[in-house]
Amino acid sequence: MSGRRRDHITRWAEALLWSASVVVALLFLAPLLWTLIGSFRVEEAIFRLDAASLIDPRMWTIENYGDAWRRASLGPALAVSIGQVALIVAGGLLVNSLAAYAFARLQFRGSDALFAAVVMLIILPVEVIAVPMFFTARDLGLTGGLGPALAGLTLPFMAKAFNIYFLRQHFLNLPRQIEEAAVLDGARVWAQYWRIALPSIKPALATVVVLDVLTHWGDFLWPLLIGTREETRTVQIGLANLFTQPPVQWGDILACAVIATLPVLVMFRWLQRYIVATQVHTGIK
Amino acid sequence: MTAWEKQASRRAIWFLLPALGMLAVFVAWPLIRAAWWSVTDADLLATDDAHWIGAENYSDLLRDPRFRHAFLNTALFAILIVPLQTLLAMVLALWVNRPEPAWRWLRTVFFLPVVVSLPVLAVVWTLLYQPEQAGETGLINRLTSVFGFADRAWLRDPSLALPALAAMSIWQGVGLQMMVFLAGLQGVSREQLEAAQLDGASAWQRLVHVVIPSLRNTIVFVVTVTTILAFRLFVQPYLMTRGGPDDRTLSLVQYMYETTFLNLELGRTCAAALLFLTWVGFLTWLQRTLFNEEKS
Repeated sequence: MSGRRRDHITRWAEALLWSASVVVALLFLAPLLWTLIGSFRVEEAIFRLDAASLIDPRMWTIENYGDAWRRASLGPALAVSIGQVALIVAGGLLVNSLAAYAFARLQFRGSDALFAAVVMLIILPVEVIAVPMFFTARDLGLTGGLGPALAGLTLPFMAKAFNIYFLRQHFLNLPRQIEEAAVLDGARVWAQYWRIALPSIKPALATVVVLDVLTHWGDFLWPLLIGTREETRTVQIGLANLFTQPPVQWGDILACAVIATLPVLVMFRWLQRYIVATQVHTGIK
Repeated sequence: MTAWEKQASRRAIWFLLPALGMLAVFVAWPLIRAAWWSVTDADLLATDDAHWIGAENYSDLLRDPRFRHAFLNTALFAILIVPLQTLLAMVLALWVNRPEPAWRWLRTVFFLPVVVSLPVLAVVWTLLYQPEQAGETGLINRLTSVFGFADRAWLRDPSLALPALAAMSIWQGVGLQMMVFLAGLQGVSREQLEAAQLDGASAWQRLVHVVIPSLRNTIVFVVTVTTILAFRLFVQPYLMTRGGPDDRTLSLVQYMYETTFLNLELGRTCAAALLFLTWVGFLTWLQRTLFNEEKS
């Protein structure tokens, strides 16, 4: 009897928990849902949420997307942003894994001290050195046209102290026997790195890719400093220009916000899975 | 040394050169130059013609009311978001930490703002905060008016602007910290929880005496990371308030940006950068100390 009553209470509690969850989730998502809806609304209807305007087909439009695409030159901007992130990820994977492998396996006198120096750079926020870094990039000729600016957007961020540290941990965890066996077979160090060690740490490499994509897709300060010309603007800078330069059209801005989000949204599942892995490996242990 | 080791050491240089070369050129060298410029009168247009002026930039900085504002604003921003975001993240993690797969969608909801870039969210939230203007009211004022609150110009009100930026930042970042806590919760000992339950401990007592103590390192980690992130504040004030009203949301990074590109005072920016770096170093040292305490 009492057992059945407890079941009853539990079911009520569960229903309550669920309804509360749905309400909180909707409130939490409201800003993003509003953005999506607003991007398809005509200018005067963006702030209107009454039923009459919501069912009125004249209040809906897809023209914001075309306008945003044209006004913020989103075609070239997307190309610059995707190119920027792809170059950082690809270049970063290569140089950081090479260094990480050397620190893990190719010990020499002084390598520990060198590694300690690299580790110290982990906490350095990019905002702190952005201004002096800008002068270095300028002195190297990494501003200006599309090619130099793309180099300027990417080269400074390929080598990353944290990624070297993180990948080194994973190389250290590999059983050593595999590699030494390979040496007896006459394989060289490069082949050991490329054919044996690198494929063995694929999940760690995926984590690094995810972190870099997430960080650099949202880059703002650095592209603001270095990619000021029209043809070298990233999507984020294009959005900021739509937002600050008259005539301000809310519909275009919201459409641009949606377009700027789609590329990372496509990778969402992946991002969520691997970001947790990093946090677990680095912060808490 | 075995033959393998000898061969390996000779190769090490080629493995290290690309990454260390890049770090030297793009990180170490700018840092060294910043340290030098911070004790000179270098300006944006004549970096090569810099003269030694000692600690003048540093003393100017500490006397500059705008720098003090920028530091205090950024510190206040951190004080607002660090405890709130950490607490909220922990509550959300405890809430969605249930085995049924249906709860996974809720985790996804809370994580979603993390993958949307900050500039996008800053722009969107500026519209959300909009006060009534020619019949157009932002979503937040609509919501508060339901509860009988007056229409407010959140981003233009000197006492509300910084808390408004903080609220948006908490919403954006809480999902990531929730994930960290979820990972931390996997480390809570099941036996201890069951033992406590057998001893008749209530859910609240189990939370306070078993769960929270075993989340200690997770909490220290989240607090440190959130603090450092908070001090990097730039995008929100740059896009949402331009540092206003009356410099009430001016952040440290924004101060450095303006000092360089509007006032051309490179030396002073570099001095600010070095003070900033010292501060971040101090925060990290603090985290290390708290971590070590746990181990001993």
